[in-house]
Amino acid sequence: MGLATYVATFFSHFGAIKTRGLLREAGIDATLMPVPRALSSSCGTCLRYQARSAAPLGQDQMGEVEQIAEERDGAYAIVWGAEE
Amino acid sequence: MEDEKRERLLVVGGGVVIGVIAALLVYLGNPGNMGFCIACFMRDTAGALGLHSAKAVQYVRPEVIGLILGGMAMALYRKEFSPKGGSAPVTRFALGFFAMIGALMFLGCPFRMILRLAGGDLNAIFGIVGFVAGILCGVFFLNRGYSLARTHKLGGAEGYVMPAIVVTLLVLLVAAPEFIHFTEAGEGPGAKHAVIAVSLAAGLVVGAIAQRTRLCMVGGIRDMVLFRQSRLLEGFVAVFAAALVTNLVLNAVMGGGYFKLGFAEQPVAHTDGLWNALGTFLLGYACVLLGGCPLRQTILSGEGNSDSAITILGLAAGAAFAHNFGLASSGKGPTAAGMVAVVVGILVVTLIAVVNSSSAKSGK
Repeated sequence: MGLATYVATFFSHFGAIKTRGLLREAGIDATLMPVPRALSSSCGTCLRYQARSAAPLGQDQMGEVEQIAEERDGAYAIVWGAEE
Repeated sequence: MEDEKRERLLVVGGGVVIGVIAALLVYLGNPGNMGFCIACFMRDTAGALGLHSAKAVQYVRPEVIGLILGGMAMALYRKEFSPKGGSAPVTRFALGFFAMIGALMFLGCPFRMILRLAGGDLNAIFGIVGFVAGILCGVFFLNRGYSLARTHKLGGAEGYVMPAIVVTLLVLLVAAPEFIHFTEAGEGPGAKHAVIAVSLAAGLVVGAIAQRTRLCMVGGIRDMVLFRQSRLLEGFVAVFAAALVTNLVLNAVMGGGYFKLGFAEQPVAHTDGLWNALGTFLLGYACVLLGGCPLRQTILSGEGNSDSAITILGLAAGAAFAHNFGLASSGKGPTAAGMVAVVVGILVVTLIAVVNSSSAKSGK
């Protein structure tokens, strides 16, 4: 299975910073950026990264993640969402 | 890349439309450099409902009603209306309260700060300096783990409460004005306004554009600092440029009254640079911890966001307190009580930032 591009949104800015560190420890380079308008009407911080699966971290490390979308040709498809 | 270009054009184009509308609202009756001001309009509306008794600033501003309903209409159209909330509501109320104390020290929200500059009011420069400094302080805490609790999805009806409140205000204004306090003609800025239908239409259009583009002065500066991305800021530069050009044209055609370069004798403004800057410092500081400027909070409340609705109520309470206890500035300058309130506000906002940062929460 090849690499896909994902964008993860968070409940807080610091959640994004913390998760970027966890991804780096897992060998995945992630870029902090504002949430793309095409993905959400909310403005906040998101992470864009390339990985083999949408959620490359363990469930216990996903507490700050709000949702993960797969980016393909500038469009986004939600592939994971936090439980309510 | 094409999408990015289109998005940028949309933000700049939206900013131009908003800037022209804001300047034209002054021509059509609003107070000087006050085509839009969320802080002033919330203050006027609080006064109209009898929450404060400053007779010079009492009027239900249809622009605010339009902003919320325009934001809601666009969100429904784009299937983005989403009732959610539950993120530290009382803390958000307090932040909204003190954001208003700061705004009424300066006499304007970030939106009006830009419009004041576009009208030649150079006092706004002190406002911008303080505002950016306040945002930088907030960003400092964002990078150190500041976070209010997460939001949750809420039941559908919750998202319609704020729109229902403003529809009720509109009905009161149109059908039962005897229940509302109005500033008498010539008695203050509250008496200056465009006709209801025009103000409402302007609010609807600007609300829809602001929802679509996510225009936010705080977000613009925050994104520039954190990501070196200027998109949202470009929107406000467009608002400024369009309002400036419209003001200059109106000034030339009408023989003055729409643009006056300088510090003294500007409409609804004072010349105390230090307190202008400290007021907007508190405003920017509180707003970055809230996640958006008063305009953005207004639009989000129309999208069904209860956290923003609570913030709006905090802004209204802050406005009522500011006028009931002599905290708000006037054209004559700031008051001693207002200075104390701004200093207290900066301390309270700092306390909120510290106790909601991760190191404090984890006890490290």
